[in-house]
Amino acid sequence: MSRHLRALMADRTVRSFAVLVLIIIVLGISDGGHGRVLTVNTTYDVLQQFATIGPVALALGLSMMVGEFDLSVGGILSLAGCVAVLTGSGSPVAGLLLAVCVGGLAGLAQGSIMTWLNLSSIGVTLGGLLTFGGLSYFLTRNTTIGYDRLDVALGVNAPLLGIFSVRSLTTIFLFLVAAFVVSWTRFGRDLLAVGSDRRAATIVGIRVNRILIAVFMISGSLTAIGGGLLSYGLAAASPTALADTLVPGAAAAILGGVSLAGGKGRPIGIAGGVLVLSMLSSGLTAIGMPPFAHWIVTAAVLFAVAILDSEELNRRVYSIRCALGKRSDLPPSGGSPILTEPQGDQ
Amino acid sequence: MRGYGSVSAAAVASRLGSIRVGKASVIQSVATLAVVIFAVSTPGFLSETSIRSLLTTVSFVGCVAVGMTFITLSGNIMSFSIGASMSATTIVFMVSVGLGLIPALVLAFLFCAALNGVQGWLVGVFRANPIIISMAAYSMIIGSAIYITGGSGVYPLTDRADILTRNLGPIPGPLAAFLLVALIGQLILSFTRFGRNIYLVGANPHAAKAAGIEPWRTVMWAYVAAGLFTAVSAVLVAARYRSGDMEHGIGYEYHAISAVLVGGTAIQGGEGSVLRTLVGTFFIALMQGLLILRGFGIEMQYLLIGLMVLGAIMLQWKGRT
Repeated sequence: MSRHLRALMADRTVRSFAVLVLIIIVLGISDGGHGRVLTVNTTYDVLQQFATIGPVALALGLSMMVGEFDLSVGGILSLAGCVAVLTGSGSPVAGLLLAVCVGGLAGLAQGSIMTWLNLSSIGVTLGGLLTFGGLSYFLTRNTTIGYDRLDVALGVNAPLLGIFSVRSLTTIFLFLVAAFVVSWTRFGRDLLAVGSDRRAATIVGIRVNRILIAVFMISGSLTAIGGGLLSYGLAAASPTALADTLVPGAAAAILGGVSLAGGKGRPIGIAGGVLVLSMLSSGLTAIGMPPFAHWIVTAAVLFAVAILDSEELNRRVYSIRCALGKRSDLPPSGGSPILTEPQGDQ
Repeated sequence: MRGYGSVSAAAVASRLGSIRVGKASVIQSVATLAVVIFAVSTPGFLSETSIRSLLTTVSFVGCVAVGMTFITLSGNIMSFSIGASMSATTIVFMVSVGLGLIPALVLAFLFCAALNGVQGWLVGVFRANPIIISMAAYSMIIGSAIYITGGSGVYPLTDRADILTRNLGPIPGPLAAFLLVALIGQLILSFTRFGRNIYLVGANPHAAKAAGIEPWRTVMWAYVAAGLFTAVSAVLVAARYRSGDMEHGIGYEYHAISAVLVGGTAIQGGEGSVLRTLVGTFFIALMQGLLILRGFGIEMQYLLIGLMVLGAIMLQWKGRT
């Protein structure tokens, strides 16, 4: 393998697209020449899935890039869906805007609590998840509320140019904007700096708390766009229907190269991660696999990434090699079997 | 540590006494008192049926919450798979109850302990992210369950498990089981080396390692303990509804972590107790019962639990740095 190719594969963003190509090839082979994998219909399906998981994955991914974890996306997704459907019967755009405002405010509230009281994001957003979930139960009185604008419901999912729809185009647009902001603006640079070393970021004059609050506001707004459009498409607001997006969203984000430790990742990589999961889900259905396969594959992805990303993997592999008698004189980089593991703050 | 048999009454009192010392305890006591006054003034609250049904349902969540306390204390925040593993255990129990009650109980406990123990091993040995590992386990359990059962529940035509639905005199059976589970959990935390190690590892794994404790062993056994406590809830639920079903445990992970956090156990681990979880469980149950009796719907309960958890988290503020 040439050095350039190796450097390319080590890039976490490229990795998710390499996995995507691999999956398309594997699905194509196991399809056995029926031509069911890369059709217009499957591509449309994949992009619809992309539009469902994408905003949540991007929201979670951004919070992970800044070194936090926004568990509340599940709650905000339901809440935004309910707000959009309840207020959007006159003007769907106004309903969606209101939903986005609610999502942004939810993020603002959580971010402020977190920075003001110096609390962990997992704790606050767990409270947020339950509160916003409860709020959507409260708004709908624990029932499914139908959306009376069927033209809008059909419109957001209607195929455009064969493979796109309003929902998937919106999601693609969100990813492009996020990619631009992270790569080419001061905010994006500060975001990654805060994620990789918060103390250093403070010392060089980045207003860390502002960045954190902004990230949670963006996370809430992105999730709200996803939730609003999804509920329009389903023509219903239900507090329970959208609950199962947190797990695939997290899987897509870390598959896309976002590090759980923060400071690493690109929105385009997250898009790749979402496409991998969507491709797997639609492709497995297309070649006739039963529905449980999707769950198992998601589980395998999460287990693999969690272990590959873990703090002590190098050390454990080294001690296994020692036990097998294949010991080298130098421990692999990144972990020493003799010293205790280095800590983040010296 | 030696000579627990001869430990003095004063030492026991100081150990148990230290449990309730926390900066949030004053606010909690005031809140509890207010709720109790509100409860007693609500017409119908003290009628026996409403209290009995409340105590029964609360006990199922309570057992899982005791298990979750071990995970939270060991520094691993929460498990997203604990509800799914409880559901899976109800299926295992109901499938194997044809072999007889005792083998079915043994199988159910072993299954649930192993299911959570594997996650604990992964989290402990690799220091892998506990949230992601438990999400992976959640997907794996749901997927495997759909594969094995085809998505439907198990309804065996046997009354062998009915003995588990009996009551202990005036006390509902599940409540007795919950109180026993909480007692055992607290005794483990307060008086065993394992319990002390959980606090140490949860507070600072690096310091624990420097002190000669292998953090991964403690973490793994904390998950195993969580699995065993969850299995208690699973067999009780399965016996009560005479079925094993993936629906049984839906949302239990959130109810359990709510009870743990409302009780005042620190989300970052190392500080808290099963007694606090017991208080948290009953506090939430009391609020739910009140809302029902005052004519509010389930949606109000969800909202209030969310706000209580958020409030409990905010009480854990560490001050500005």
